[in-house]
Amino acid sequence: MAISKIENKTAVKIALLEFLRSKYILYAISLILFIIFWDISAKMNGRFLPRPWAVLMELINGINEPIAGKILIVHLWYSLKRVFIAYAIAIAIGIPIGLLMGYSKLINAWIKPIFDLFKPMPPIAWISLAILWFGIGETSKVFIIVLGAIVPVILNSMNGIRLIDPSLYHAIRMLGGNSRQEILEVTLPASLPAIFAGLQISLSMAWTTVVAAELMGAREGMGFIIIRGMSVSNPAMIVGGMLVIAVTAWLLSVLMTLLERRICPWKTELEH
Amino acid sequence: MGKKSTNTLVLRIIPYVSILSCLIIWQLIVVLNIVPNTLLASPLQVIKLFIYKLNHTQPDGGLILVHAFVSLKEALIGYVLALLIGIPLGLAMGWFKPIDGLIRPLFEILRPIPPVAWIPLTIFWFGIGLSGKVFIIFLAGLVPVVINSYTGVRMTNPVYIRMARTYGATKWRIFIDVCVPSALPMVFGGLQVALSVSWMTLVAAELIAADSGLGFFITMGQRLLMPDMIILGILMIGLTGVVIGIIVDKVEKRLVAGMWR
Amino acid sequence: MENRTRALKNFKVQCVGISKSFGEGNEKKLILDDINFGVGDEFVVVLGPGQSGKTTLLNLIAGLERPSTGQVFVDGEEVTGPGPDRGLVFQKYTLFPWKTVMGNVEMGLKLSGMSKKERREMASYYIDLVGLKGFENSYPHELSGGMKQRVSIARAYVNKPKVMLLDEPFGQLDAQTRYLMENEIIRIWQAEKRTIIFVTNNIEEAIFLGDRILSLDGKFPGRLKTIYDVDLDRPRDRADTSFLKIRQRITEETMLIL
Ligand SMILES: Nc1ncnc2c1ncn2[C@@H]1O[C@H](COP(=O)(O)OP(=O)(O)OP(=O)(O)O)[C@@H](O)[C@H]1O
Ligand SMILES: [Mg+2]
Repeated sequence: MAISKIENKTAVKIALLEFLRSKYILYAISLILFIIFWDISAKMNGRFLPRPWAVLMELINGINEPIAGKILIVHLWYSLKRVFIAYAIAIAIGIPIGLLMGYSKLINAWIKPIFDLFKPMPPIAWISLAILWFGIGETSKVFIIVLGAIVPVILNSMNGIRLIDPSLYHAIRMLGGNSRQEILEVTLPASLPAIFAGLQISLSMAWTTVVAAELMGAREGMGFIIIRGMSVSNPAMIVGGMLVIAVTAWLLSVLMTLLERRICPWKTELEH
Repeated sequence: MGKKSTNTLVLRIIPYVSILSCLIIWQLIVVLNIVPNTLLASPLQVIKLFIYKLNHTQPDGGLILVHAFVSLKEALIGYVLALLIGIPLGLAMGWFKPIDGLIRPLFEILRPIPPVAWIPLTIFWFGIGLSGKVFIIFLAGLVPVVINSYTGVRMTNPVYIRMARTYGATKWRIFIDVCVPSALPMVFGGLQVALSVSWMTLVAAELIAADSGLGFFITMGQRLLMPDMIILGILMIGLTGVVIGIIVDKVEKRLVAGMWR
Repeated sequence: MENRTRALKNFKVQCVGISKSFGEGNEKKLILDDINFGVGDEFVVVLGPGQSGKTTLLNLIAGLERPSTGQVFVDGEEVTGPGPDRGLVFQKYTLFPWKTVMGNVEMGLKLSGMSKKERREMASYYIDLVGLKGFENSYPHELSGGMKQRVSIARAYVNKPKVMLLDEPFGQLDAQTRYLMENEIIRIWQAEKRTIIFVTNNIEEAIFLGDRILSLDGKFPGRLKTIYDVDLDRPRDRADTSFLKIRQRITEETMLIL
């Protein structure tokens, strides 16, 4: 009798532990606790922290109520537009430079030292100079986003070429390939996964940089929204803007992953 | 790709030629007034300003090295805090399921927010002083530190864990004696990434709101329309970033050496 | 030298006075020394222990390395570089990971400028021959080790090379797959005869496959030691007494050098 009682007790305990171990339950608990904690702190300190509800309302209002003359979606669009323009430029310049650096030691010897000098200077640090040169408009923003986005593109294209397994070159040569075919059939496809990894990093870097650039002087864009929230002392606007920024960052990375699966379907092998 | 013996010597000289010719071209662009001096300062002007700023507080109110020191201090405090909290947190998340389950969702929310997006809220909360800067650097450094520590534990060779289990080691002991040591290389691998993210975020924060520091120095240069000040500021940021990187690298090597002895 | 060249004259592949060393000055290491042999329309196995320079020897014939002294001839022409008249199957898997099985097999034909339709047809035939029908659209990472080497064999075969060079192609396979692949390579070879030089470190594999076995000395530098003729009918039986007798003999003689 006593034994079965103990067994029962342990059974309950085990069941409880199992329940607590299931990660989805834990996730739910975690999120609920987080929201409750947030709400309580906001209630006690309303001037500094918006309540979750207020943030949601702010976002819903943003759908059709303009902030500084434009609704939220338009602000988001401005940021995205800047990113895409700069990103396209960074890719168009960065990939050829990186490939050439990886391909030719001579070109690498010319470019690499300059590249190494520029690398430790965060792109954002250039904003003042860019504003001095191009004024506060689109050009200065696009300029520093290009600076931020181009570094991973160059680095990864370069390494993509450097790290190609030399036996693949041997294989193509044994099959009768000439040097032009070697580049087309081995160098380019073999470096593609690394280049793509660079593009992924580069896109998130571009998104970070656009926000930073907009913080420093813009009349539209997501960075503008949150700095505006700060200057009009509206914490709900700041946090709402941060949420949109985060969700966009996440969507962009998902998009890149999907794209990668389409463009490099063989890449799973490299990741094991 | 080419003849070896002649090339190696050439390849060793070219980088110096490359940098030198860039400097000369830069100097010429300014001297020949291809770009007006109001937009670009020559390398010599920047060096002159640097020497001047070594013992003059004009026009921005601080010596250049003091600005660098302020930025350095903010960066290091925030960064060390990120390590002190991030490493144990990441390691624990990697091994203890309940901790992982409770912290992970919060972390996944935090993760996609670019650190610079925290700047307005931080200024709103803390103002433009030291505490705000530290907070923001802490946030910026935390994410990569946690991710690397977490991954490090997760990548522990399961054979070692199973072996420790057959010897009857407790979960805690396995964590301390097997997982943590095997995660260390990965943890250290994240330090430099965290550092460069932190440093970049700090610069942004200082550019937006500060009353000292290198970012502030640049902003003053922009207000005063002094390109030499801006360029000096950018160079100092690069240089200080490299110096911190070297410090972290040295400390890291010390720690690793001490650990494997 | 003169004599040797004349003696080897009628062979398809001729290796004349080959030596190969790597490194310079003090680091210089002689890997192969004084190698002379000829290969006709036959299946020749080069047998040698690990690190005896087997891969180096094949690379010399393939033209991926140049000999320090001596010359390699294929069909009377000196080998000066890699080329499609020799088909190489590498020791480690070297399929193009971004190409499907079809893409890999038809690569040589594509490089030679053959039209898409024609090369598809021809590649299909060889994919079928190596037993991979139905896997045309699979990527290499989806294939097992044995299948990968089948693709490698087809990729080399499709070019109709004068000589096939196989470098321990089954070295990474498990024992069962290895037996199977040994049968398979004989089947493929009998379906379409080519001159084959097959490298292995496995005595049994050598006897099962080869018309002749060239045994390499295992010590630096590697030298050609003995040439064995294997006069057994195919398909060969690994447990047959005559098989075991040859095996016994080669084992004893190669043990001496180890
Ligand atoms: N490119 C090279 N540079 C320097 N040394 C080399 C080079 N290629 C091969 N060697 C050396 O030559 C020796 C023989 O190598 P090789 O790969 O030809 O042997 P192997 O018989 O194929 O060995 P295994 O059975 O392991 O495949 C090795 O000691 C190797 O280190
Ligand atoms: Mg070998």
